[in-house]
Amino acid sequence: MSDERPTSLWRDAWKRLRRNKLAVTGLFVVLALLLIALIGPWITPYDFLSQNLDARNMAPSWAHPFGTDDLGRDVLSRVIYGARTAFLVAICVTAIALAIGIVLGAIAGFYGGPFDRFMMWFTDMTMSVPQLLLVVVINASLKQPISSWMEQMYLQTLNPIWRNSAIVDFVLVFGTMALISWPPYARLVRAQVLSIRNRPYVTAARALGLTNRIILRRYVMPNAMGPLIVAVSAGLGTAMVLESAFSFLGVGVNPPTPSWGNMISDGLRVWTNYPHLLVAPAAVLAVVTVAFNFLGDGLNDALNPKGQK
Amino acid sequence: MTALLEIKGLTIDIARDDGPARVVDGITLSLQQGESLGIVGESGCGKSLTMLSLVGLLPNRIRATGGTAMFGGRDLLKMNARELRAVRGSEIGFIFQDPMTSLNPVMRIGDQIAEALIYQKSIPKPAALSRAEELLALVGIPSPKDRMTAYPHELSGGMRQRVMIAMGLAGGPKLLIADEPTTALDVTIQAQIVDLVRDLKSKSDMSVVWITHDLALIAGLADRIAVLYAGTVVEDAPVNAIFDRPTHPYTRGLLASLPTLSDQPMARLASIGGTPPEPGRRPPGCPFAPRCAMAIAACADAVPQLTAVPGSDPRHRVACIVTTREATA
Repeated sequence: MSDERPTSLWRDAWKRLRRNKLAVTGLFVVLALLLIALIGPWITPYDFLSQNLDARNMAPSWAHPFGTDDLGRDVLSRVIYGARTAFLVAICVTAIALAIGIVLGAIAGFYGGPFDRFMMWFTDMTMSVPQLLLVVVINASLKQPISSWMEQMYLQTLNPIWRNSAIVDFVLVFGTMALISWPPYARLVRAQVLSIRNRPYVTAARALGLTNRIILRRYVMPNAMGPLIVAVSAGLGTAMVLESAFSFLGVGVNPPTPSWGNMISDGLRVWTNYPHLLVAPAAVLAVVTVAFNFLGDGLNDALNPKGQK
Repeated sequence: MTALLEIKGLTIDIARDDGPARVVDGITLSLQQGESLGIVGESGCGKSLTMLSLVGLLPNRIRATGGTAMFGGRDLLKMNARELRAVRGSEIGFIFQDPMTSLNPVMRIGDQIAEALIYQKSIPKPAALSRAEELLALVGIPSPKDRMTAYPHELSGGMRQRVMIAMGLAGGPKLLIADEPTTALDVTIQAQIVDLVRDLKSKSDMSVVWITHDLALIAGLADRIAVLYAGTVVEDAPVNAIFDRPTHPYTRGLLASLPTLSDQPMARLASIGGTPPEPGRRPPGCPFAPRCAMAIAACADAVPQLTAVPGSDPRHRVACIVTTREATA
């Protein structure tokens, strides 16, 4: 025992994470991009929507560091706004998926029995649905009715909120992506809870007369967090890629809302003439994906030191 | 003295794929208010399961299938989950075997001791925390105020076991069950823990059940000792009677296997040959008979009942037809 401040698990993990250069780089890139996304409206040199047909498809220059696109919009501004889209989608989708996964996984793992069997069956079923197909089906079947319903609401109430079609995009994207993202979290949480629920300190907590709910919340779940944090870090990166992929295919976020995915899609059509339109969003997407993976690996090593060689 | 706990004919079965296997076979034990009872026996003889069954903490697939366990006028085996939860901690406190793994690694020890007070007894957090600090001082942890914010991994094994004891005492139980609390500790620390529990017991009217396989360890702590073998009580006697006049061949074997200062250097310790019978494959009659040097043909006929040992303490009872007869002769 020393006279230092008590070192918690998290402080130890942070110490280990800090020694890992790749992980620190990844963390730095992710945080920098998150900051840029947060303060985006105040730092973008141009409005991301304003067109300048006199300056179309311009190569990168001092005035437009990433050039301009086919409508003369500033690509840097659009990439920054794309970061807002990417983070918004990634964070919301991961949060929804995590909430579903934690609740279902924890209850299934802790109480077991018929609910556990039903949950595993439900999880397997959800995972067996082809993700892309599900997203396309939802887009094709739900988007039109929701849009026309909103149109009607606008005509009835004249409230401009119903005119904002971007909301429909986001709600649909969040919903569908969360729907296909929760099963891995539920499985992970269930596996963690299964391995923790018979540990001696859980029995000791029972011997104190604590209720199941308190034992689950204060003894089981805090000890299940390590692998979950790693999974979330990787999941955020995956969600960003997924959002770009869906937007690339036209079933995610739709123009004019900027998304790296639809920018890549637009850029791909003209890349032989104007490669910067493809390179800028693609490079940013690649960098942030790699950064999330480095961070996830680093967190994995930091939170599970026993797994290290 | 009134009986605080009265276990009669307790049976515990493990559900196996090929049918239930009996691990505890009709244990009968009683414990007076303020008494300390040592339960001795080798691994797998059912000593821990017997105690865990009292508070409904048996692992999955293991069930108490018969008998009664009266505690303060109520049958613990007939209580539902909610009633048992109310008994745990506040009426029956537990100390577990392994202090290294029995504390929540991500919770400060002060919070951990206060936990039961806050959530079970609805004591406001500040009061519960100051009570936790008192308990840390009570179990002999130096500078308890500083240790309140420590995490379990910052404490030594002995310190952690003291924290466990503080947790066991937090609810002010009438009965403290210590399940091999010193097995994982160094010998010097073992003695400290035994002294601590004896000291705590002398300050209150609490009863203590100390489960161990180390007869010598509890000689100075227990008022009475029950020796368990293969899920049954084979000898139940006041501590002096056990050491002065061990009667069951198994008890004699256990005592003979203890090293003493008068042993010749390099002499081999005595041991009991063979292994205890597997649950579900117990021989008819006396379960110890196959390993017993004194066994006679009649031993295999019927399970011997606990009977008083003639000429010993009136509370000294043994389940053996050979040695009780020998004592009479």
